[in-house]
Amino acid sequence: MSPAAPLHADPGLQPERTVLSWGRTMMLFAVVGAVFLRWLPHYGLWTVGLTLSCAVVAGSIYATQRRRYSRQSRGIAAEQVEADVPAVLATTVATVVLGILGVMAVLA
Amino acid sequence: MSDDPLSGDVGSGDRASRDVASEDPSGAPTRGRLSSRLLARGQEPDPRFTLANERTFLAWIRTALAFLAGGVAVEAFAADVFADPYRTVVSVLTISVGLLISVGAAMRWLNVERSMRLGQPLPMPLIIPLLSFASGVAMAVVIALVVLD
Repeated sequence: MSPAAPLHADPGLQPERTVLSWGRTMMLFAVVGAVFLRWLPHYGLWTVGLTLSCAVVAGSIYATQRRRYSRQSRGIAAEQVEADVPAVLATTVATVVLGILGVMAVLA
Repeated sequence: MSDDPLSGDVGSGDRASRDVASEDPSGAPTRGRLSSRLLARGQEPDPRFTLANERTFLAWIRTALAFLAGGVAVEAFAADVFADPYRTVVSVLTISVGLLISVGAAMRWLNVERSMRLGQPLPMPLIIPLLSFASGVAMAVVIALVVLD
């Protein structure tokens, strides 16, 4: 079986770098979820909800990585990539919600 | 490299519709609803710039997540270092900085994307002085608490 044809010919490897950047962000969401687990003895069971939320965000990023790479590679090849507004907004909302829940837990 | 590796993947019909879309100043029909609304004016910038802007946003989000994890960790691990009210203050301050940075990251991403679409100079990064100030305050608070304790 011959290797698949490359999706783009960009020497700057823009899609690769962007997808890896999403991958690092996914890892950090998982790490934050793991750190939340440390609250389990103090704040009780609902910290598991925080960890699960982090896992859902990380899983969503993981599940969309292939599609993201394909979309960005084709976009680079066609010289036009639509800005990914839904992904940016969803990531921001997820971070803000986690932060607010964290502050609420500390102050409660 | 053998002739054109891209022609097989980007179909000719797809490419034709993209060209029509990019020539249409009233907005491409293939764009998503959110991006049509938030990024209405201007033309599609160089895709490399769009992706670079996305990576910069993600770097800020990771910074915000690091502050969030730091605040959570202070509350979880530092019970021996800080007495109770101080620990809560440090934790809430750190998480709040993470909140501000994540909101600032999204706003900056949007402003940069808009500037690039309109061919305008990029806006000043307001979250960089915020980050410097917040880091300085956080370290000063920690030093003060450790010294005074």
